[in-house]
Amino acid sequence: MSEPAEQSPLPKVALVGHPNAGKTTLFNALTGENRKVSNYPGVTVERTSATLRTPHGEQFEVIDLPGSYSLSPNSPDEQVTRDVLLGGLQGEPAPDLVICVVDAASLERHLYFVLQVIDTGLPALVVLNQMDRAEEKSIRINRQVLSDELDLPVIACQANTGHGIVQLKQAFRFPLPPATPRPWRGPGAIEKSIASLQRALEEAGQERAGAHAIHLLADTDYRGETRPLLSTECLASAREIASECNRQGVPPEDGISEARFHFIRRVISASVIERGARAQSLSDKIDRIALHPILGWILFAGAMFSVFWSIFSFAETPMGWVESLFGALKNMASGMIPKGDLRDLVNDGMITGMESVVIFLPQVVLLFLFIGLLEGSGYMARAAYLMDKVMSRAGLTGKSFLPLLSGYACAIPGVMASRTINSPKERLLTILILPWMSCAARLPVYLLLIPLLVAGKTGQTWMMFLLYGLGTGTALLAAWLLGKRIGRNESAPQFLMELPPYRLPDVGYVLRQVLGRALAFLKKAGTVILGIVILLWALGAYPKAPEGENQLSHSLMGRIGEAIEPAVEPLGWDGRLGGAMLTSFAAREVFNSSMALSFSIDEEEEDEEAVRTMIRERITLATKEDGSRLYPPITIFSLLVFYIYALQCLPTTIVVKSETRSWRWALGQLAGMSAFAYLAALAVYQGGRLLGIGI
Amino acid sequence: MSEGLAESLERDSALSLDQAAVGCNFQVKSLEGPACRELREIGFCEEMRVRKIAGGRTMLCAVCGTRLALSRDLAKQVRVTPC
Repeated sequence: MSEPAEQSPLPKVALVGHPNAGKTTLFNALTGENRKVSNYPGVTVERTSATLRTPHGEQFEVIDLPGSYSLSPNSPDEQVTRDVLLGGLQGEPAPDLVICVVDAASLERHLYFVLQVIDTGLPALVVLNQMDRAEEKSIRINRQVLSDELDLPVIACQANTGHGIVQLKQAFRFPLPPATPRPWRGPGAIEKSIASLQRALEEAGQERAGAHAIHLLADTDYRGETRPLLSTECLASAREIASECNRQGVPPEDGISEARFHFIRRVISASVIERGARAQSLSDKIDRIALHPILGWILFAGAMFSVFWSIFSFAETPMGWVESLFGALKNMASGMIPKGDLRDLVNDGMITGMESVVIFLPQVVLLFLFIGLLEGSGYMARAAYLMDKVMSRAGLTGKSFLPLLSGYACAIPGVMASRTINSPKERLLTILILPWMSCAARLPVYLLLIPLLVAGKTGQTWMMFLLYGLGTGTALLAAWLLGKRIGRNESAPQFLMELPPYRLPDVGYVLRQVLGRALAFLKKAGTVILGIVILLWALGAYPKAPEGENQLSHSLMGRIGEAIEPAVEPLGWDGRLGGAMLTSFAAREVFNSSMALSFSIDEEEEDEEAVRTMIRERITLATKEDGSRLYPPITIFSLLVFYIYALQCLPTTIVVKSETRSWRWALGQLAGMSAFAYLAALAVYQGGRLLGIGI
Repeated sequence: MSEGLAESLERDSALSLDQAAVGCNFQVKSLEGPACRELREIGFCEEMRVRKIAGGRTMLCAVCGTRLALSRDLAKQVRVTPC
């Protein structure tokens, strides 16, 4: 029997609301674990949906739309919410029912969005979530009055404890409630304009003419752009009627928003009672320390240090497990496959290739876990507030902090997290500089090369900090410089952010997010990286050298290394380093495997650190014909500097293309960062030689 | 005439949120500037009561029981009167 969803799509319920209204918690409480995560058509914004069975035995598809303050969007995430509700997203029909999740303790701030949802003409209901916060703040809401004023069902709920979920599920029943008529009324001129535009749209055959008429008049940007759902005729009518309003001295945007706010004040005075002065909440008390000008920074530095220290410390044991697992796999393959090309392909190509990436999975998982916990607790918004002071000097705001921090784990989720940034200029700048945050894939290269420069754990730790600092510092400097050239006519980005109350993170949700990221990471290991490493192995293994000749120098890899030697010689590198760099162009973590191959190290060695030690020994012992070191410290430093700055990650380039919707930015970033990396490595080597340092 | 005068006096007595004293309560009188819509939608709408918690380059306010952080340039667009 086929799935019913395939025959006829289930009726769709959309959850909407401000960020931090508790939408996702409500989604989890309603649907449990059977979620499905995909992307909206044409955009990379995540679409989370799940099937819900009501107490009446009916099935619905529930979708969790991105959090929005308004249906006049200020970011790509908010745009998706607007487009889904107005039916403007191709392949995603408008929902059959909209649930507006509002924070009961902050009802007045949330009602504007509720009115915008009512204006879409879709059946809706209101969920008053976080009732405990309202009680804590001595706020009493008369639900009946609120429901009468809005002409919508209003359900009280406490999603994190499950209170009110049954009542909410019971509200999902056929027939679904009819759409509510618009409860607010604007001044005469505005009402007349809405009515005449609605008529014009109806005559042009536009579906949901009333909803579009209000939205076209309320949002200058909406009527300013070409939209797939609206004909040029409809847009022209909207512009003409809006111009007429402006001529009469009643801008439609202002008239509509004033009328909505006037209605909200009336509803609030009728339905909300605040008893006594608001007591200081636990969040207020924590913030006295967390946002203190001095203590706040100490706490922030402590939190960040703890996160990174934990990542490096706690990851050691699981990294050991990964090594053992791959060691066992290699042994198994050696036992099953006779000596020859096939065994080399499986051991040196496939298993080693996977290992070179999977080894970093524990660190990536831990970083995402800590970021998820900090975000879920409400602290990340405080960190963004503190960091805004620093970021603003680079022409960014605190909103860039989280994407940039994610970049230390992996640039891809960092680039995707930049969607929450309102300013297109700031968003682009963040995406462009993000790959200079040293990601987890750079770690193996750093771990291989740093001991060649500095002995002792303390010195090596400081060296690691220096490399991270160099990347971050240069990124902020680049943002400042690029900000002067990109979007010169746009005003400087401004910081505006809600600091949600502190709460215990939803550990289940965080773990699911981490699992999703971990699977994406493994997918990359199993596809792009695996492909490259197999190719690398083939480049090193073929053509076969005649008896007595060195296989590597005869192979294609050896020949490539020879060919690019003139280009990398000014950086202090030889053909082998150049070849390893070249082969790691699509994924930097391939560098270590490539070096192992170049130095003819048997990767059947079980311990990754043992392989690194052997590579280091060969590098240290390699000499030129005159007996001097082939790879002096300045060469190693030049190589490290190259790896700080080069964008050697094909998936990042693809994600940047999809997020900026332009190959120009993606390829420009790739070319710019590669050129910068080359020049920086050149400056380090030539500068060192001139000054006689590290030669 | 007297109503107009009162209104004009009230407008003159309004100050921008960035000039407002930390630790005091205010009421939003008007919004003037390019980010009006965004500010209104997040909570800084006319007649809303605001408490300024911290000043400086990035300010912190409590609006309707929620803490909102905003940069000085945005705060300049919010006109408030003490209450």
